[in-house]
Amino acid sequence: MVRYPLYQLGNPQLRIFRPSWFLTLVRPGKEQPPDTVQFRIPMEMTKCDIKNYLEKIYSVPVGAVRTRIQFGSNKKRNHLNQKVKQPDYKVAYVQLAQGQTFTFPDIFPEKDQTSTEGSMEEMQEKFMEDEKQRQKPDPRRGGVTEWFGL
Amino acid sequence: MAARTRLPLLFPKKLPPLRNQRFAHAEAALKEPAYPSVVASLTAKSKSARLRQVEEQVKKICDSPVEEKLSLITRIQRKKFVVYPQTFARNADRWYQHFTKTAYIPGLPEKFTPGPERKTEGEESSPPAAAHTTVPGVDRDAFADIRSLVSRVILQEHWHLKKRKAFLYREQEQMVGPFLRCLVTGLSHSLAQYNPLLRLSSLDIAPRVNFYWRRGQRIIPKGHRRGRLEPTRFQIDDQPQCQIRITQQLQQFAPLEASYAEEVPEVTYAPNLMPLFKRQYDNHIFTGAKLPDPACYGHTQFHLVPDRYHRDRMARKQQSDQVEVFLRANALASLFAWTGAQAMYQGFWNHEDLTRPFASQAVITDGEFFSFFCYQLNTVALSVETDGDNPRKNLLWGTESLRLYESVQDGAVVGLNDDVVKLLVQFLLNQP
Repeated sequence: MVRYPLYQLGNPQLRIFRPSWFLTLVRPGKEQPPDTVQFRIPMEMTKCDIKNYLEKIYSVPVGAVRTRIQFGSNKKRNHLNQKVKQPDYKVAYVQLAQGQTFTFPDIFPEKDQTSTEGSMEEMQEKFMEDEKQRQKPDPRRGGVTEWFGL
Repeated sequence: MAARTRLPLLFPKKLPPLRNQRFAHAEAALKEPAYPSVVASLTAKSKSARLRQVEEQVKKICDSPVEEKLSLITRIQRKKFVVYPQTFARNADRWYQHFTKTAYIPGLPEKFTPGPERKTEGEESSPPAAAHTTVPGVDRDAFADIRSLVSRVILQEHWHLKKRKAFLYREQEQMVGPFLRCLVTGLSHSLAQYNPLLRLSSLDIAPRVNFYWRRGQRIIPKGHRRGRLEPTRFQIDDQPQCQIRITQQLQQFAPLEASYAEEVPEVTYAPNLMPLFKRQYDNHIFTGAKLPDPACYGHTQFHLVPDRYHRDRMARKQQSDQVEVFLRANALASLFAWTGAQAMYQGFWNHEDLTRPFASQAVITDGEFFSFFCYQLNTVALSVETDGDNPRKNLLWGTESLRLYESVQDGAVVGLNDDVVKLLVQFLLNQP
């Protein structure tokens, strides 16, 4: 953790080349307005740091940044009854400028079941379908179970 | 059939009295109900009992005088969103339009638009003033007097008075605040001869304006009241630079029905994402003076843009597009609060909607740039119970920022914009 000297009038402006900070774009847990992007950021970063980072490295026009620190729970206990701490992390909500919007993409889309011919999956699916047909009760009994009967 | 019309064998000599006939000379006897009407209980632990309690409360508020109405509506303190008219939030005007059910119309209403049609109309109908100039009702010499007054005020504050360099973020307060106050007092004094209302008006310096209302609802996510519906409450606490209150109400800018066609932007997200924060304290509804004051209707408000939202600072942060957004949001929130409070003072509230629209005006300035806004309040019924089939919307007209003067050089004002002065005069001369 580098400790920079406190800024006083006349000091050279702090410039960071090749920062060792990395942002993580996450899907918001609660619904956010369309111009808001949610990031998980290292604890040492500030609002100004995020603004400069996004504008200079990724040339993303940033309007406003708000941050908060999420406390990681210390409640769970392991098999030795010791408390296990989940790490704390900082979350940044970035509002984009110039009317831009962003929606988090769907990373795990639902696949339509079209398996290729002669493959294991198709045989397995056919087998599962036959099993389900066999398990279904006789439609001629009109919903009455086998319990009533001979 | 002939057989059916034969009278019975034993025809009674005395017919029983015909009960359904009403004699013309007798009064209709009031039928007292024999049993009390069947309504839901008042004290049971049921949904219908809660509905009946709400009904009783609404009836109680409707039947009480205005002072009691206000105190009953603002009695209970609960967590509410505090809406600041001058806010740093981005796209605040869209959010505020949704909270207050207001439609924004760029430009000013027909009263103030200086098109060529108005001039021809004025010439045909021979206006009362002798010489028809740019402003109807004010002749050329008077307009020249007003121009010289404005330039005198500008010179006084920016040239003759030697002011120290202001401390951090106090520049607007020190340089432009006194200028605006002098301008308003001077203009209202000189235009009082043309507008008789201004003689009986009340000019407030730095008054407080508060308004409290409910709009929308949400399901409480956690706590002992989890799963229940809760209305979202809002409070505006505003302090304009100065305002003019008059004894009569201003005429409406557009008929009520014209607002049905306008569109209000719908925002489906919770207000706290704006960002907007909740607090709990006394609910206030205040126009700038207490209830018994005769000058209970509003005329014009004047707002100052603070240093934090000055256009130079926004330009340094590359957020010049937010300047207009800020002005619109400021005008919207301030005027909605003022007109809403005026309506509450007349006894209209959520369940008793307005019978006539309330209109007010505002001028927002940062010393050089002036923006003019007109607001018409058509409905105050914004909560969930009353908003379901309410087609009325509130209307806000507004201009872009216009420069008043270019600069002050060598004891003279350079580039004084006549249109802005004309609009100011028109605003102050507005009368019912």
